[in-house]
Amino acid sequence: MQTVPAGRVFVNGVAILLAGVLLIPGSPLQAADTKSSWAEEASRRASEPVLGLPKINHPEENQPTPGKIALGRKLFFDRRLSINRTMSCAMCHIPEQGFANWELQTAVGVEGRTVRRNAPTVLNAAFYRVLFVDGRDTSLETQYIAPLVARNEMANPSAGYVVELLRSLEDYRGAFEANFDGGPSLDRIGKALAAYQRSLIAGNSPFDRWLYQGDERALNASQKRGLGLFKGKAGCVSCHLIEETHAIFTDNAFHDIGYGWWREQQRQTPRDHQQVEVAPGVVYPVPHAVIASVSEKQQPDLGRYEVTQDPDDRWKFRTPSLRNVAVTPPYMHDGGFAQLKDVLRFYNEGGRAHDGLDPVIRPLELSDRDLRDLEAFLTALTSPDIPRLIEEARTAVPDNW
Amino acid sequence: MKQLKNKLAAGFVALFAFGTTPVIADETCQSPYMPKITGQEEFVYVWTLGEAGVGDESDKLVTVDVRPESDSYGKVIASLSVGGLNEAHHGGFSADRRYFWAGGLDTNKIFIFDIHSDAAKPKLHKVVDSFVKDSGGAVGPHTFYGLPGRMMITALSNDKDHGGRTALVEYTNEGDYVATYWMPTAENPQGAKIDSPVVDGFGYDVRALIRKNIMLTSSFTGWSNYMMDFGKMLKDEAAMKRFGQTVVQWDLHTRQPKKVMHVPGAPLEIRFPWGPNSNYAFTTTALTSKLWLIHEDDEGEWHSKPVADIGDPSKVPLPVDISIAADDQHLWINSFLDGMTRLFDISDPHAPKQVYEKKIASQVNMVSQSWDGKRVYFTSSLLANWDKKGADNEQFLKAYDWNGKELIEKFSIDFHKEGLGRAHIMRFGSSKLYSS
Repeated sequence: MQTVPAGRVFVNGVAILLAGVLLIPGSPLQAADTKSSWAEEASRRASEPVLGLPKINHPEENQPTPGKIALGRKLFFDRRLSINRTMSCAMCHIPEQGFANWELQTAVGVEGRTVRRNAPTVLNAAFYRVLFVDGRDTSLETQYIAPLVARNEMANPSAGYVVELLRSLEDYRGAFEANFDGGPSLDRIGKALAAYQRSLIAGNSPFDRWLYQGDERALNASQKRGLGLFKGKAGCVSCHLIEETHAIFTDNAFHDIGYGWWREQQRQTPRDHQQVEVAPGVVYPVPHAVIASVSEKQQPDLGRYEVTQDPDDRWKFRTPSLRNVAVTPPYMHDGGFAQLKDVLRFYNEGGRAHDGLDPVIRPLELSDRDLRDLEAFLTALTSPDIPRLIEEARTAVPDNW
Repeated sequence: MKQLKNKLAAGFVALFAFGTTPVIADETCQSPYMPKITGQEEFVYVWTLGEAGVGDESDKLVTVDVRPESDSYGKVIASLSVGGLNEAHHGGFSADRRYFWAGGLDTNKIFIFDIHSDAAKPKLHKVVDSFVKDSGGAVGPHTFYGLPGRMMITALSNDKDHGGRTALVEYTNEGDYVATYWMPTAENPQGAKIDSPVVDGFGYDVRALIRKNIMLTSSFTGWSNYMMDFGKMLKDEAAMKRFGQTVVQWDLHTRQPKKVMHVPGAPLEIRFPWGPNSNYAFTTTALTSKLWLIHEDDEGEWHSKPVADIGDPSKVPLPVDISIAADDQHLWINSFLDGMTRLFDISDPHAPKQVYEKKIASQVNMVSQSWDGKRVYFTSSLLANWDKKGADNEQFLKAYDWNGKELIEKFSIDFHKEGLGRAHIMRFGSSKLYSS
């Protein structure tokens, strides 16, 4: 693995500045898992408050330990834990891409199967009370089973199959026993994965230093104006919460902002042509009929309704945290917006009006300068700790056959 | 047979002496190190993707009899299933032409078939299932290019992000790992001269011009793109930004990158001509539908330039496989989305001109011609999730005679009706290569 000094990273044309080091994919990999040092630090980080974030509410029966976190990291990066040994959690939640995936709007699973939704970042997942954008799970200890057995994700024939696999792999021998009261089991796999993910804490942003530490220089004038709009005229804070001692930038609730409904209208009534960029700056209008000839049928996404079956929940999705949002494009539940300015424009237009639209969504009448200031503020939510988390994530090469 | 032996012997001389004339070569597009079939090929091997609901659904090596006098001419005479859907794609012979190596772009397995013990009925000799681990993270073994005692393999992706950054990986003929050569990137150009605004580190094909000590690689895209539904990808603006834009010139002997050239639009197959003074190669860009010339100038410097459009680029016909004639005068170019094959006159490599075109089917991918150019074969499948859907998903091997003016169909095998799957790369076989 190769490290290079910090610098500008271009994501969809947006320059992003990351402090510390950045790891470059596709280069020869480094070896040795130095778990004793990094996992101890990760365990400390998961146990103590981080500037701007609340204390993590670890389950009583799954308190963090360095050993659990190290085991969870190994599981997270193990490509053998999919039916054909090609996918791991980390193939969609890529450390160098903000523990998300910059390169795809929606994820791709085993054998290239289509996933309807964007792979969200797992940074700060510890602070969600509901998991997945439709909220179909509530615990990191159990959440992992869904992608593990989903036919279009890791496609294992059963969860028990994975338990048996881990029991048979030489490099896991004794690893569960050393950290739990027995060998591999569904329960213990979940605990290890949850322990690792709860160590992926990324606070301490310029915004945190400004608001919670009183560092006046942490935000520039534009960012401060943006924060004012965020809390005032734009009203973002009504769902993306900022509290007195901390801010997780989500209310952990479900809202219909008109986006899901709008995307469904587009699915049902596609445009005659799709503008396709075949090379930088070379865009051709490709007829819908041509695209349809090589397309499987696109599936709808009804959001929270798919969990509750309540018509009032159609096209409601969980409010995402905005922490590290500048380094986790593309945006929305299906990655349909490439840049933050696209998202801000959508909100400024009042979302997409229809019967179920959340009343807080309305035309905002923000000026171009307002939008620039809001975007500047959002870039102040990036944690300087991410390079360290990347480094920890890459303490060993992904497990392969 | 004596003639063939002489050619084999000449081949070994050329192999060690790097002679100025590639007196032995495979059928027009293969490694110049290996013996070729100059007369009538006996068999066509088709590396075939398994397909849901078709036959045993497994990837397989299909053998078709193409001996004109045979009772089974134009028929499938052997089918060897390897198990699973590996995203069967490309393959190539070892330089001694005794084994056929075929890769799975998804599972990273490499299947090595013995084609010399019985050329009519290949046997599975060995499976290399440690490609990713061996290589230190390369994913998607694609081109298999036979070098003396070695197999040079291009990969398409990596196991860190399934993007396009990747490597060349070298194995021995026995299937033992030798080395990994990562593509030059902007962060680590490895000493290569940069003549491109983009240094993507992507890979696809590899070909060599021995007498110039040149190896060229092209650049496609990573696992996430080549595995996903094609229509979904065309609508995914983030994914469409992840295609190769470079051709890299390498030092064949030292395996060091020498120069990165700008070829935007996903350059795929690379073909060197055979002439002793022909210091150039062709490639086509899939997305921008252009024919490119990679050529050496009077000072020995290599450059890239587009020299022709393929069809109407604005309609994105998606040029895919190409096949250069042994006399370097013509180049077949298939385009997938319109199902066309086009023949270009390349007698002036700087100004190729289309001279013929024919619609082969609703979709077409690979094209292979005999050494004498009189027979041309076509297959249909591009990638499992890029192939057309429904009735347009025609899967076939079609054989034509080329009389200099038109293609005349000799036979067609429907790979769906035969319960085989998606027909991909073709390679020719002959028992005469191995008889004493």
